[in-house]
Amino acid sequence: MSSVNQKGGSRSVGKTVRSFLAGNSVPIMFILICAVCIPISGFSPDYLLNEIITRLGRNAFLILSLLIPIMAGMGLNFGMTLGAMAGEIALIFVSDWQIWGIPGVILAMIVSVPFSVVLGWFCGKIMNMAKGREMITSYIISFFINGVYQLIVLYMMGSVIPIAHSSIKLPRGYGIRNTVGLLNMRQCIDNLLAIRIGGVKIPALTLLIIALMCLLIVWFRRTKLGQDMRAVGQDMQVARDAGIQVERTRIISIIISTVLAGFGMILYLQNIGNLSTYSAHSQVGMFCIAALLVGGASVDRASIGNVFLGVILFHLMFIVAPQAGAKITGDSMIGEYFRVFVSYGVITMALIMYEMKKRRQKASIGEQLALAQKEGLQHE
Amino acid sequence: MNKKRMWIIRGCTLLAVLAIAAVMLVVGRGHTVYIDNKALEYNGQTFEAMYRSEVWVGGERLSKLAKKERTMSTVIGQGFEMNLINTANKGDDPSEVSVKLSLPYGWDGIVVNLPGYLAGLPQEAWMTEFIPAPEPASEEDEEPETFEDEIPMGDI
Amino acid sequence: MKEKIKDFISSFGLPRLIISAFLLALFILSPIVGADLPMQITNVINRFSWNAVLVLAMVPMVHSGCGLNFGLPLGIVAGLLGGTLSLEFGFTGPMSFLMAVLIATPFALLFGGGYGWLLNKIKGGEMMIATYVGFSSVSFMCMMWLLLPYHKADMVWGLSGKGLRTTISLEGYYDKALSNFLQINIGKISIPMGALLLFALLAFAMWAFLHTKTGTAMTAVGSNPNFAKAAGIHVDKIRMLSVVMSTWLGAVGILVYQQGFGFIQLYNAPFYMALPAVSAILIGGASVNKASIINVIVGTFLFQGIVTMTPTVMNNMIHMDMSEVIRMIASNGMILYALTRRSEVRR
Repeated sequence: MSSVNQKGGSRSVGKTVRSFLAGNSVPIMFILICAVCIPISGFSPDYLLNEIITRLGRNAFLILSLLIPIMAGMGLNFGMTLGAMAGEIALIFVSDWQIWGIPGVILAMIVSVPFSVVLGWFCGKIMNMAKGREMITSYIISFFINGVYQLIVLYMMGSVIPIAHSSIKLPRGYGIRNTVGLLNMRQCIDNLLAIRIGGVKIPALTLLIIALMCLLIVWFRRTKLGQDMRAVGQDMQVARDAGIQVERTRIISIIISTVLAGFGMILYLQNIGNLSTYSAHSQVGMFCIAALLVGGASVDRASIGNVFLGVILFHLMFIVAPQAGAKITGDSMIGEYFRVFVSYGVITMALIMYEMKKRRQKASIGEQLALAQKEGLQHE
Repeated sequence: MNKKRMWIIRGCTLLAVLAIAAVMLVVGRGHTVYIDNKALEYNGQTFEAMYRSEVWVGGERLSKLAKKERTMSTVIGQGFEMNLINTANKGDDPSEVSVKLSLPYGWDGIVVNLPGYLAGLPQEAWMTEFIPAPEPASEEDEEPETFEDEIPMGDI
Repeated sequence: MKEKIKDFISSFGLPRLIISAFLLALFILSPIVGADLPMQITNVINRFSWNAVLVLAMVPMVHSGCGLNFGLPLGIVAGLLGGTLSLEFGFTGPMSFLMAVLIATPFALLFGGGYGWLLNKIKGGEMMIATYVGFSSVSFMCMMWLLLPYHKADMVWGLSGKGLRTTISLEGYYDKALSNFLQINIGKISIPMGALLLFALLAFAMWAFLHTKTGTAMTAVGSNPNFAKAAGIHVDKIRMLSVVMSTWLGAVGILVYQQGFGFIQLYNAPFYMALPAVSAILIGGASVNKASIINVIVGTFLFQGIVTMTPTVMNNMIHMDMSEVIRMIASNGMILYALTRRSEVRR
């Protein structure tokens, strides 16, 4: 008797272990990669700790902006690039107006909001017109708006839009330079309440802002709008029948995400102190989505825990890969290509797992329906 | 009734945000102040530079200016405070002067001429706008890359 | 009458009309602003010949309902392997082109097979996953180009002797191998007949295939999968076939492009190469689940026309080169337009 029970018990343990591994395969894989690469790379734990805390402060806000569209069923918001562009435009203006330090950052955030709202509204509207293909649509939208951004920043700024300082303009007289220095804002939020322990600098104010954002998100989930979004994310038809304005809710989720991405980009740039005018936003978009997925999020489910776990694991890999690659193969470029490959690979895997889960759910619903019909017929 | 309240709340929030923005515009305006210890000609009179002038900003000594020297300080906001320990001629006792200036909003760089200021001249005499020499067009910024054809490879 | 115009506009598509009108305007303006029209026309025809096969690669997958092949870089990678290996094995001249195609084929079949198997498992989300499969494969190959044991002197980096260079010149190999073959010159316009003939051959083969039993089955799978299954068509096998065809055409397409362009471009270059092909076929009148050979021809011509003529005309007119930005907005706008239209088959 007891041996049968034991067998059943161990089988269910094995099942739970397997399902845990399957459900969290991406973070586990990353832990393994890091476990291998970190000792090879030869970085000291102090250095790594400092780097991770810095990158956490830099990127966490941006990644948090991705949570709301996932909640509303819009998938991975590749349109966060739009928010990043809005933040960049705001920073260019604020730099030009010579507003420095924390007031400059606050002003940039305020100025970015109208741009973010317009871009987010546009993105949400188009995504509503392409239901079922939201992710590829937001992906193409980011390219499209990148073109519009370049039209504004490369051609209209300095000519149609007045820019006072020629130091940020191109030699030809109009258009913004490839890099805009943000020295007068550099790390102003990071430094304000910085705590230095050993060799590690902790940007307390930045982390406080991030913590506040997390609390805000938790509170938002409980508001009526948040509940509406979750309902829309679960099942659009059921939400519509319940009286929720589905289209409007979806657009609002994208607008909120875009605005938050704008703020996050400003925080990111104030840490780096330098704006790569034409490449910063696309880089940030891709890596933030990868980081979120590394933290165990999926296309339809993401939590705050995923954000932080993802930042830590992804950036650990990001830091150690070039050095580890150099030590293994003698060429540091291998490590750099490797980390790009892993970023794309992670997104690919997450997308595949999501689609397969969707198909399995559809198939099982179909089976249940068929079963119910059969039973219904039997009862007659 | 409910809808009206909603619009009022929204309007107030908007006004509050705009107010904050306006405050930030003023509070955050950054300037670079250049402090000169140079002789100044004004209305036919010449005001001599001091033998030595120590400039203290924010409790720390910024610089010790001999004749014809210039130092600079960045400041956020419309007011600029500094303490001067002036020695008019060699061998004199140093005298301390505390200076409070209000900077014009529109100027990025402001030149303050110490002799003129200390002589009590009207503001246009000793405060001028600093206009940086136009930089020679650098070759490295020829054609900005549109970066659409690049895999993101940089650091984040 | 007004109804007819409205119908025409809505079926042809407003963006398409705008783009065609824009191109027409460019052609008219070109001699007026002093650009060399015969040379422009030569350039357009040349670029058409380079790109047409890549655009043709879109057709099989659209027909079988797999959507627009954003994963074209996978086929391009197969073609790059073929090209580099052909050079490595020492072939030169037009022979190297033929060998490149031959060597690329097994790679294309292999990659296409795996890719097709994957797409069959994730019906409904093909386009997004295709994009990222393409990116992953390009970035994986970035590592491979550095590691694989290539030795040919003019392909590897000079200093270390290991790892392929970013761009490899094709002079002496298959540079213009097709274009110079049967080149016809009419006045100042030169037409690369070789490349155009190859495209015509492949296009005709595709058209013929689509009218065979398998081809019509493919179209059925795309337009009405339930009917196809009921009719006994093996849906998964047909989809896999379409993906393999598309990948192989992508491999050949990049080789045709290289012989016209004159260089093999490795590492990051294939990264975004799907987008021009996708928007070209959409400009030509295709949609997410309908594409014909006419779409390929018209679309490639319009797209390459705009890409070629905008810079010169704009430069001569307003001394400002906005062509990159216009290309980004126009081509991506076109893709957005196609993605947001209601398609007949919604899964």
